[in-house]
Amino acid sequence: MRIRKENDGWKIDFSGKKPATPLLDTINYPLHMKNLSTRELEQLAAEVRADIVHTVSKTGGHLSSSLGVVELTIALHHVFDTPDDKIIWDVGHQAYPHKILTGRRSRMHTIRKTSGLAGFPKRDESVYDAFGAGHSSTSISAGLGMAVARDLLKKKNNVISVIGDGAMTAGLAYEAMNNAGFLDSNLIVVLNDNKQVSLPTATLQGPATPVGALTRALTKIQASAEFRKLREKAKGLTKQIGGQTHEIAAKVDEYARGMISASGSTLFEELGLYYIGPVDGHNIEDLVAMFEKVKAMPAPGPVLIHIVTEKGKGYPPAEAAIDKMHGVVNFDMETGKQFKSKSSTLSYTQYFAESLIKEAEADDKIVAIHAAMGGGTGLNFFHKRFPDRCFDVGIAEQHAVTFAAGLATEGLKPFCAIYSSFLQRGYDQVVHDVDLQKLPVRFAMDRAGLVGADGPTHCGAFDITYMACLPNMVVMAPSDEAELMHTVATAAAIDDRPSCFRFPRGNGLGVVIPHDYKGTPLEIGKGRIIMEGNRVAILGYGSIVQQCIEAANMLRSQNIYITVADARFCKPLDRDLIKQLANEHEILITVEEGSIGGFGSHVSHFLSLTGILDGPLKLRAMVLPDRYIDHGSPQDQIEEAGLSSRHISATVQSMLGRPKQAKQFK
Amino acid sequence: MRCSYGLTAIPGTDARFFSPETSFLQLRRTFQPTRIKFGSFKIKAKIDEARKEMSFYELLGISERGTSLEIKQAYKQLARKYHPDVSPPDRVEEYTERFIRVQEAYETLSDPRRRALYDKDLALGIHLAFSARRRYQYDEDLEDRSEWKNRWQSQLSELKRRSMNRDAGGNMSWGARMRRQREELSKEL
Repeated sequence: MRIRKENDGWKIDFSGKKPATPLLDTINYPLHMKNLSTRELEQLAAEVRADIVHTVSKTGGHLSSSLGVVELTIALHHVFDTPDDKIIWDVGHQAYPHKILTGRRSRMHTIRKTSGLAGFPKRDESVYDAFGAGHSSTSISAGLGMAVARDLLKKKNNVISVIGDGAMTAGLAYEAMNNAGFLDSNLIVVLNDNKQVSLPTATLQGPATPVGALTRALTKIQASAEFRKLREKAKGLTKQIGGQTHEIAAKVDEYARGMISASGSTLFEELGLYYIGPVDGHNIEDLVAMFEKVKAMPAPGPVLIHIVTEKGKGYPPAEAAIDKMHGVVNFDMETGKQFKSKSSTLSYTQYFAESLIKEAEADDKIVAIHAAMGGGTGLNFFHKRFPDRCFDVGIAEQHAVTFAAGLATEGLKPFCAIYSSFLQRGYDQVVHDVDLQKLPVRFAMDRAGLVGADGPTHCGAFDITYMACLPNMVVMAPSDEAELMHTVATAAAIDDRPSCFRFPRGNGLGVVIPHDYKGTPLEIGKGRIIMEGNRVAILGYGSIVQQCIEAANMLRSQNIYITVADARFCKPLDRDLIKQLANEHEILITVEEGSIGGFGSHVSHFLSLTGILDGPLKLRAMVLPDRYIDHGSPQDQIEEAGLSSRHISATVQSMLGRPKQAKQFK
Repeated sequence: MRCSYGLTAIPGTDARFFSPETSFLQLRRTFQPTRIKFGSFKIKAKIDEARKEMSFYELLGISERGTSLEIKQAYKQLARKYHPDVSPPDRVEEYTERFIRVQEAYETLSDPRRRALYDKDLALGIHLAFSARRRYQYDEDLEDRSEWKNRWQSQLSELKRRSMNRDAGGNMSWGARMRRQREELSKEL
């Protein structure tokens, strides 16, 4: 891969080999960038781009977000003195250039892999990562906290929070700006505007059209070139007056600023942040000059610098792609074509989307809501089929939940498709607005359980716990894709109370699915027995049932025949099934891919209340361990968590009093 | 005063929404073109040209709230009527010109993004044919970038000026108090 300087910039030739990066090779830490000239910084930018494309083409991950902020990263590290100065990246997956320049370049090929670099900034990983990101819109709040701490400790460092235009749609960003404006502490907020304002960045047809009023405001700012001319006029005028006093000039300046800035910037001014911009986010000279000036000011207060970048800049296939190659698996560098592995089954997300569409065809009261995750939740397909019945509210889970509650009061049947870990943001709304009022909102929680390469920030460990403790909520978990479709139908049928169901990341198993994706509603509070045995019963909840079945098969080879049951419902529990299992077996093991306080707790509570625990039954609950599981491949994570089929068999063996045989499985 | 244009706001307009095109149209009588340069000559010529034409909606014969189905139907009807192959021989040129404009109108209004931009311009009083706007947009983009630099440089100098006086005694914000305390601390050392 060659990187050449041409008249209008650096050109990268993306052919198959590792790029030659002479300048980047000399940079291990930001300190090494301090003495570079603008020309050299531009060369560095080209080399970093080449390096990112090369690395991500091999490992997969997030591509275009990082490409868009190469110049910004270089400018920030050149001007500011990290790690004393703090840079907080809001959208974690744009931190690849940051990681490359802060001593982690040699490990970039391990990114998102087991024991490798995290795909997001992580405080444990490096002192240059000031704050962990993952859920977006947190950078200004965290930055303000660091700025205030600095002031109380009488320190002098700078704090820079980088936030994107998509992340700005979250209320948290406004809460932070409002507070920042009030406190008037020195803080630099960089608004990285790449005109996407929705994640991921496309519907099936093309780029997502802006989700709200914010983009109109931002567009107006960018388009206000004409005002400049008026200011020139006004300036010329004050010279003509001659001998102007300080006040007149200031007033003209103030007024002219009002004319220069289009309507949108006053949004930030009203919140108390001084607005600067828009600035070309790919011009290193401009960025460096501007950051130097701001850094030199003694008391700027909170400042918002609006930079305009292009997502995927510098890599033509990404610039051209509909979704800008936001998240990719490994791909061919020259063409940008991804090597997507072919699977015989669809993902759970797709099965969910298809069965929801089927339900919605039969019932026109069904509507779908998501929070800027049309691709991730599969609702882009729903939107294509029912454009007026699918609502993307932006990165605003709290609003999504209460909005759904409002829809439900009028008799509609809202399905809120929000990832298990993102629903945490809207939890109070689930409790107060939905459950307390017993409104029939259906929650489809995708990415439940361990999620692989994204790590603990996206891990859906807690949803069983936080949903099943709510008095009115029906809590379900399908064990495979056919069950998922029946669960969707069940949820559609539950119209007198809220309900939720969880399903994992990944592809279906290949079981026989109902004809035409149309599920049939299950009987509420009834599980099923999958295989019969004696002495030991395993009661699984959710997709982990598959691991239980595998464990049973492993034990059969040892002549141990266990019963495996699929609970289907955590609330209401299938009491008859549990009583039956408890009465007919010596040992009962519950398994779930969730934290403590979930399914296992509900079962043990029930057993203790009925007095069964006073008897001879041996009860064990297998749950996720009481620690965060790091990112890695799904198999490694499940092993780390101790919930693989091997672990389940070993547990059975040791409970049967055969610890030696248990060791065989270890 | 001939140059009062610069300082006084036109009554009834919000300075933030102030646009030279609108003012051009409103101030026609008192405005003297030689005094104030509107930058590119091209833009002025296009504005003149555009003001003669009717809006895309009028061209297609639908209301501004027309649905995409209505737009499509109108376009089909008019395209069939004005297509050069079926137009009366003595009016081929006129009809072809109309056809092209109908085509542009459809292209603009059938794409939600372009339609949004077009509606915005319409509200400001300009209706540029899309091809004209595309050129305008490109030129505007280039001009924009150099405009941007000037603008943020002036914003920076304004910030610097403000920051000089920011922590003066009167300012009681938390940040200002903290900065004053820190200054005093470093003076003592």
